[in-house]
Amino acid sequence: MTEATAKPTNIFSSPPSPSGIQEKIVEVRNITKRFPGVTALDNVSIDIRKGEVLALLGENGAGKSTLVKILYGIYTPDGGEIIVEGRKVSINDPKDAIGLGIVMVSQSPQLIDSLSVSENIIIGLKRYHVISPVSRVEEYVKKISEEVGIKIDPRVKVWHLSYTQKQLVEILRAILLGARVLLLDEAITYLPLEEKKKFYKFIRRFADQGGSVVLITHKIYEAMDVADRITVLRKGRVVGTVEKASTTIDEIRKMMFGERAKEISYERLPLSTPEEKYVLSIKDLWVRGDFGEFIVRGVNINVKAGEVVGIAGVAGNGQRELIQAIIGLRKVERGKIIFLDKDVTNKGTKHLRKLGVGYIPDIPVKYGVSLDNTIMENLAILPTFANFYIDWGKIKDLAKKLIDEYKIMTPSPATPVKLLSGGNIMKVLVSRELTVARNLLVAYNPTRALDEATAIKVRKIIKEKAMRDKVAVLFASEDLDEVMQLSDRILVINSGKIVGEFTAEEAERGKIEKLMVM
Amino acid sequence: MIHLIVVKRIKPIPFSGFLIPLISLITGLLLSGIILYLSSGISFIDLMATILTAFRSPTVVKDTLILTLVGISLVLAFTGAVWNIGSEGQIHMGMMVSAWTALFSALADIPILAKIVGILLAAILGAFWAFIAGVLRAYAKVDEVPVTLMLNYIAYYILDMLVYGPWRGKRTWGYIRTDEIPKILRFQRILNTTATWEALILVIITGILVWLLLRYTTIGLRIRVLGSNPDILRSAGISVPLTIVMALTLSGLISGIVGSVYFFGDTYRLSYPLEEHTANYGYLGILVAWLSMLDIRAVPVAAYIVSSLRISGTLMQIGGLGGVETMFVFIGSVLLTYSIVRIFSEYSVKIRF
Repeated sequence: MTEATAKPTNIFSSPPSPSGIQEKIVEVRNITKRFPGVTALDNVSIDIRKGEVLALLGENGAGKSTLVKILYGIYTPDGGEIIVEGRKVSINDPKDAIGLGIVMVSQSPQLIDSLSVSENIIIGLKRYHVISPVSRVEEYVKKISEEVGIKIDPRVKVWHLSYTQKQLVEILRAILLGARVLLLDEAITYLPLEEKKKFYKFIRRFADQGGSVVLITHKIYEAMDVADRITVLRKGRVVGTVEKASTTIDEIRKMMFGERAKEISYERLPLSTPEEKYVLSIKDLWVRGDFGEFIVRGVNINVKAGEVVGIAGVAGNGQRELIQAIIGLRKVERGKIIFLDKDVTNKGTKHLRKLGVGYIPDIPVKYGVSLDNTIMENLAILPTFANFYIDWGKIKDLAKKLIDEYKIMTPSPATPVKLLSGGNIMKVLVSRELTVARNLLVAYNPTRALDEATAIKVRKIIKEKAMRDKVAVLFASEDLDEVMQLSDRILVINSGKIVGEFTAEEAERGKIEKLMVM
Repeated sequence: MIHLIVVKRIKPIPFSGFLIPLISLITGLLLSGIILYLSSGISFIDLMATILTAFRSPTVVKDTLILTLVGISLVLAFTGAVWNIGSEGQIHMGMMVSAWTALFSALADIPILAKIVGILLAAILGAFWAFIAGVLRAYAKVDEVPVTLMLNYIAYYILDMLVYGPWRGKRTWGYIRTDEIPKILRFQRILNTTATWEALILVIITGILVWLLLRYTTIGLRIRVLGSNPDILRSAGISVPLTIVMALTLSGLISGIVGSVYFFGDTYRLSYPLEEHTANYGYLGILVAWLSMLDIRAVPVAAYIVSSLRISGTLMQIGGLGGVETMFVFIGSVLLTYSIVRIFSEYSVKIRF
């Protein structure tokens, strides 16, 4: 068991120990994995060294997840071999992997809500025959959570925890399982930035103490922030591995996207020329959060036809609830929402949808699409496209048009959405919502699940829609780059209030960041 | 030490829609054969002979039609992940109004009208009975499984009360039951079977309508999506509670119709106590729905198989080969095997030493 021994190292600065870093713990040799119709991994070889953080970087569908799932025994490869500490091994299921000290944490927590934190951990350990007394687990959770700066009471039931806390519990469980190689499959990608930084320090310390971390991500910044080395995958092949210290973001982009890297730029998109008329007016809006407290506290926003308004803010400052209230998914306690000169406060989502309001939610696979249903069914479910009788011919034509226009990679319009890659699922959602949005589009973290090139493309599509069809857009995002790039006007939200407003020209990153954390 | 490792399959086993029910049936039969042999010494050959007879029995047609209708009702609810265990109660509420129409209303003088009104009222009462559970589930978040189950007993007892009291017949030779309905009001038998033309027509119409509903209407699509991801319904602006109520009510409506078919075509009267005279169609229908893998087109086949098994149970009782329990041994074995096979079809299990 890799018990976090009390080594008096300063976890904030981390000189890599030169002796250990060259020693390979895992070698992946010429792994190939085919799924019906696609070769997910083609002759892939990577090394994981002791005491390092290795980032496995690639766009959506590059094969990153397939590779770690092979390392964790969820998939078996069609060819190639895995060598752990010089010995050839076969990993046929997670138990084999755990026996070798390889543990994976995925992006979705696998905890049982009705059990406490320590019970969850103990069950997780018992399954793999690691026995640990309750008091020790509780102590460990308490200690580490204090060190990391994310408070967790080990006796509290899991359903009380936030996503960040759950992910920390997952990682702690992995370490208690004896992880020497920690596979983080987008495990921290979706955390709010502030909390992500706390995880970085923790990961760094784990590596400094001799553990290895494989960070699977599609975000270049995440890799640059924490990794020692970066291996880039593209279309199932290794493009190359670089040392973080001797590379640049541009170089990595080129490796990730090839020719498409040229399209990546965080330059502000062209400004639109809004019409005079207001599409949306929000007046002194008050909305309650999940625990009954007021989380949106007197917000006023006006959006003109053709204008893109972005709300910047640290997660948890009311932007999620604000967006939900606008689309009618959350009750407005006080104040008014005026849409096209009509009061639509608490009129319900269906009413707004019919008036031509598109909605791109956070966590698209939960709130945006139904994975078990086909692309066509995911279109027909909107009242905009079918009222009682579903004309499947018409829906099919629409699906084909969207597949064509948005370059959605799918075998057919009747393919279940779950068989598509993350980026393509997002395209199904965005294309549908932009079709619905005749007058207004509201969105929350619209491109969070996407790799850079696809994210920028989606932003361009949204902007074009606003400019061409004079659609008003109001979105909130935790990604300040996104807000800066897409908005004609920027609002800053903090503790449920709008605390700053900038036109795109006058917006300064430093000023906005200051207001966000003020 | 032996370890079992369970991993979720990425892709379903090919032909699972066909193989799973088949394997469950064969294994279930073998299993019940062993149990029956060990418990009462019934030989496997006798058992198979009885079952084969049952498959060709003329009474199997009636049960098949009725269970098809119950199966359709439950497939509709189960598709939306709404667990209607209350078909039995909905059937009995249907029987209740059918009996009222035939025995006590003025319509009894106009047979064709009495039958039609009897069917319609049965549909409405069945729908209402399920609607109660639907509203409780959708708006008060009370699980529909215990509610629908308990409503079955309420339905039995309401009927018991009526039959014991105001509805007790005059020509019953001391039995506590209602009078039989006149011959003219009974459904028309098909040839020399106990099935009726009316039942056949209702099965065909309902089957087609439900199939169309699920395929070609937004209501059907919403029920299907309700079963896979209710959150997207909210984002799309569709009321989740309303969809739940809709799924349960429509399911109850069809179960209600079953009540009229059963009353006008088979029992012709109500006998006290109802809970001991029931054919348990409402519960057997659950087996039918699962064996069909929730595919309307497979429901008649599943209904035929379950009906045959049910009848073979009765035949064995008549032949002195065991009580009516034998039937439950069959059904239990099949359902148990089915659940296990379903798990294997979704998860792969490896054994490791």
